[in-house]
Amino acid sequence: MVKYIGKRLARSIITLVIIVSIVFVLMRKMPITGYFPNYDHMSPEQIQNSLHQMGLDKPVAEQLFIFLKNVVTKGSLGISYVYRNQVPVTDVLAPKIPLSLKLGVLALLVALMIGLPLGTIMAQHKGKIVDKIGTGFIVLIQAVPAAVYFLFIQIYGTELLNLPLMFKETDAKTWILPVFSLALPNISYYAMWLRRYMVDESTKDYVKLAKIKGFSERKIMFKHVFRNAFVPLGQYLPTTFLNTVVGSIYIESLYSVPGMGGLLVDVVKRQDNSMVQAIVILFASVGIIGLIVGDIMMTLLDPRISFAGRKGAR
Amino acid sequence: MEQNQKVILSVKDLNVKFNLRGKVLHAIRGINLDVYQGESLAIVGESGCGKSVLNKNFIGLLDPNGFISSGEIIYYGMDDGQPQVLSNYKKDKEWLKIRGSEVSMIMQDPMTSLNPLKTIGKQIGESLELHQGLKGKALKEAVYGILRDVGIEEPERRYKQYPHEFSGGMRQRVVIAIAIACRPKILICDEPTTALDVTIQAQILELLKDLKERYNLTIIFITHDLGVVANIADRVAVMYAGDIVETGMVREVFYDPRHPYTWALLSSLPQLGVKGQDLYSIKGTPPNLFNEIKGDAFAPRNPRALAIDFEEQPPYFDVSPTHKARTWLLDPRAPKVEPPEHLKQMRAEL
Repeated sequence: MVKYIGKRLARSIITLVIIVSIVFVLMRKMPITGYFPNYDHMSPEQIQNSLHQMGLDKPVAEQLFIFLKNVVTKGSLGISYVYRNQVPVTDVLAPKIPLSLKLGVLALLVALMIGLPLGTIMAQHKGKIVDKIGTGFIVLIQAVPAAVYFLFIQIYGTELLNLPLMFKETDAKTWILPVFSLALPNISYYAMWLRRYMVDESTKDYVKLAKIKGFSERKIMFKHVFRNAFVPLGQYLPTTFLNTVVGSIYIESLYSVPGMGGLLVDVVKRQDNSMVQAIVILFASVGIIGLIVGDIMMTLLDPRISFAGRKGAR
Repeated sequence: MEQNQKVILSVKDLNVKFNLRGKVLHAIRGINLDVYQGESLAIVGESGCGKSVLNKNFIGLLDPNGFISSGEIIYYGMDDGQPQVLSNYKKDKEWLKIRGSEVSMIMQDPMTSLNPLKTIGKQIGESLELHQGLKGKALKEAVYGILRDVGIEEPERRYKQYPHEFSGGMRQRVVIAIAIACRPKILICDEPTTALDVTIQAQILELLKDLKERYNLTIIFITHDLGVVANIADRVAVMYAGDIVETGMVREVFYDPRHPYTWALLSSLPQLGVKGQDLYSIKGTPPNLFNEIKGDAFAPRNPRALAIDFEEQPPYFDVSPTHKARTWLLDPRAPKVEPPEHLKQMRAEL
């Protein structure tokens, strides 16, 4: 088990390095204005001087190596020049990460707490009215672009439910709309896949055998079907992590949450190259963490997936 | 096994129908059958004749579009002696007192019958916990005992293993263990050896015979393998197109078959084929059960059919107290029709 996780982690780090390299190279193709708050007022000599100071005139490969070395040795992600003047990126991010993390985790929990029971109820009443309404809801959420229903939630949430529009960290009421908006795509996602896998499982022979044993439908649903349907659901966990990250970019600007998502939009608008680079790398890491968690969860739930990874290396 | 034994399950004039795409399929057409305590009864017939459908009624697993249109199934095995009219059971809840503890079943494919994510110990223990309220150490010990009974060695180690760590034959042993864990009185075996290879088949049949004695089981065997029938059954019921056409003790039906369908079925045994001759096969196809069947259902495929076979359904004629067949050939007025020559030859050889 430890060996498996170690291997999995090592592979993830390689993936991450590749992502960093790609992002890094792409950022070098951006205009250099992104490194100067007052580019227009500077002479070409000043610009050359500054670039030399920042080490940006070195070959890309060397820059990348220095960047990675700084990440590992100093935990530094570079320095912001435009968004903040000469402030390390990590200092800018430090107060924002916990907030976004809280928001994301809360949204994931809400999604699980609503999505899983919804999927279970739909599977139990397959083909009945509850199932049809649920399917309608899922199709609607999956088909309509998130931006559209995010706006609807904002409009009707504030109009009808009288919930506050502006986010304030200390006011619990202001958390409701952003968290719910962030959870909504995942609610439909979990419900959709859980229903599908539960319906799949419930036609299997071992369910019939459980019936023959004398278990009631209800007990079979929870003791056998739900647990077995949950395993394939593990592979969708990474997607829900990404859903949350993507959602947060939009939601945080929508409700003025001073978190990472809002920040990314901000720094892209203001073209702060080092900030964009750092945040993109962080978000990519979240996606990779989602993948690892999903994989580990599946190995824990399904004894047929071997830890050693000899059969069917993933 | 004599006729005066206690009846444990009685089927009276049972008719089962299915709603299929707006049409009604008449799957079981007026079956009468008594199952005696402690016997092993084999129900044979070709695919689609209704063997499985009949047995699903005994444990309440009929598909949702199927229903009993008339007739009764009565179970006499309850400990309090109260007869239970199974055909009147509507809700799942009523079946819970029958399934597992009174009537149990083994399915065809052991590879899919077990939950892949639970240890086999848990899966066997589950029903003991449910029906007998065993817990903890007592539960574990009971499971070890059952594992030993079905011939699984090192139960302590096997208990903790998952189904994918077992071979097909071993899995079928586990399935059997689950089925008998709560000491049911009737065990329905729905082609339990079809998915296994021949050497394992023999072992499983031996195991079932052994368990039948030790657990005092009544076994209903569904099969189309006549070799299995000869091996394990006391009595045979031959089914054709949703009806039982001939019943009797195994030796009676094998050595002195009376119904033309039984003749045809026995003639189709490849083991009994004569070298150099084509294998026998029954011409034509079974009747369409969506339509009303007139006369003897087998008549259109029977080269020796009498005129009356197409007109009127024959009643049962007794051949012996334990042997009866549903064919006009046994009517005293019928012309004397001999069974096919090769069957007689076979009998002489046996």
